[in-house]
Amino acid sequence: MKFPGTCIVCNQKIEINEMGLWAKGIGVKHEKCASKEVKELKCIICGGPAGCQKCEFFDDCDRESVSELCVCKKCSDSKDSFIAYQNAVKKNFALLNLKTN
Amino acid sequence: MMWSEKHRPKKIIDMVGNEEARKSFVDWLVKWKKGAKPVLLVGPPGIGKTTLAQLAAKEFEYDLIGLNASDVRNKANIEEVLTPLLGNVTLLGKPMIFVDEVDGIHGRADFGGVEALIKILKEPTVPIILAANSAQSDKMKNIKKATKPIFLKPLPPRLLGLYLQKVLKEEGATLGPGATIKIIIESRGDIRSLLNMAQAHVTGFDPQTEKSFKTLNIDAAINAFFKAKSKEEAQVVLYSLRIDPREKINAFYSSIVSSNLQSKDLAKMLDIISEADMLYGKIMRTQEWRLLRYLDNILLRLYEENLPVQFSQYNLSWPLLNRLRWDGRTIKALGALLAKKFHVSQSTIATFYLPYILFCIKNKKLEMEFSPEYNEIIQKEIGLIK
Repeated sequence: MKFPGTCIVCNQKIEINEMGLWAKGIGVKHEKCASKEVKELKCIICGGPAGCQKCEFFDDCDRESVSELCVCKKCSDSKDSFIAYQNAVKKNFALLNLKTN
Repeated sequence: MMWSEKHRPKKIIDMVGNEEARKSFVDWLVKWKKGAKPVLLVGPPGIGKTTLAQLAAKEFEYDLIGLNASDVRNKANIEEVLTPLLGNVTLLGKPMIFVDEVDGIHGRADFGGVEALIKILKEPTVPIILAANSAQSDKMKNIKKATKPIFLKPLPPRLLGLYLQKVLKEEGATLGPGATIKIIIESRGDIRSLLNMAQAHVTGFDPQTEKSFKTLNIDAAINAFFKAKSKEEAQVVLYSLRIDPREKINAFYSSIVSSNLQSKDLAKMLDIISEADMLYGKIMRTQEWRLLRYLDNILLRLYEENLPVQFSQYNLSWPLLNRLRWDGRTIKALGALLAKKFHVSQSTIATFYLPYILFCIKNKKLEMEFSPEYNEIIQKEIGLIK
């Protein structure tokens, strides 16, 4: 770091010459704090976490830039999972179900 | 039929992913009244921006008037197309305007259209939906200010997988786990790409489906097109190859003219290429980019099973290219020498004099002395005179 700062993850000081990740408008974080941080998507069917840490697509899913709602392993493996997904959308986003409005 | 068309959702609720964005969009449309800000759908290709606009028009019973970047490049064009719609709504039913790829207008392609569009966006009398792949450019900043941006994002891979399984089930098809995962990863959240790749894989077109067609080299794509086992496969390759249309036509042209084809086939194919070229010429002349949709349909007629066509970058055979390169240099130097002797320009020598000079030398009607380095080329050229 060229200037000192405060890590947005652990709230500890980052000193000059220490390694840190900085982004305009977001702030700075320790390198180790950034690697610990894993964004967790939400399962639209059960409402729980999607289990990104154990997801088979962990390395290929850019969780920061994808659509926020996913499905967890359990829900995706269940029978008629796509129908369950559609029902969950109908339930959670009633506005989209125009015929029923 | 392309799966991406066949499985296009029928209702907004049937779409996959981007639930929050869809909700914001529907909310905007439900609350829409005269003067409300138009909406700007921003997101990468293949995630349903156009579908969302089309379905909204259908479900809210609007008459969708679709325009694309070409229609809004030109101020006069905008006024001609949009003013009647904005002026007297009742005569024209219930219009809704959809302008696709607004970020496609930039630099010299913009003939005052963006400014005229922004003016309209500030006082809308009908719902206006704009779509863009990105909202980063300076021109988009102004459009963004005048609209309500809604960001659509790529789908998470597992959700894509769920949708793919549903489509495969409906098609009565199966894919191995390895191929499924590869297709999901390579589609990068793009539903259209996902379905194109899956269809290509299921129909037995193996080698190139391992890659996204968007990243496929032009040479691999041309080879895949002519190696396709059916017209449908060729169509999948062609439709997914999104490169500059000029480049596309040139690649087909150079590959065809340098392949060993029978005269009859060659004539037929050149006829098709010239049709595609005329269409592109018309597009460039009139800036009617909506006509571009017909280009692939024309090029698809080039496909016939087992045609011995392979990609070639050069539109002349290698021996001829070689001769142009090396002999051309010597002929040019010879031309410069003769130009001095005959007191004319080099181009006049090359265009008009040289064939006659060679003819006269051949018939021993003219005697000229040349330095030995030109003897070989003169004899070669004389040999070519019939």
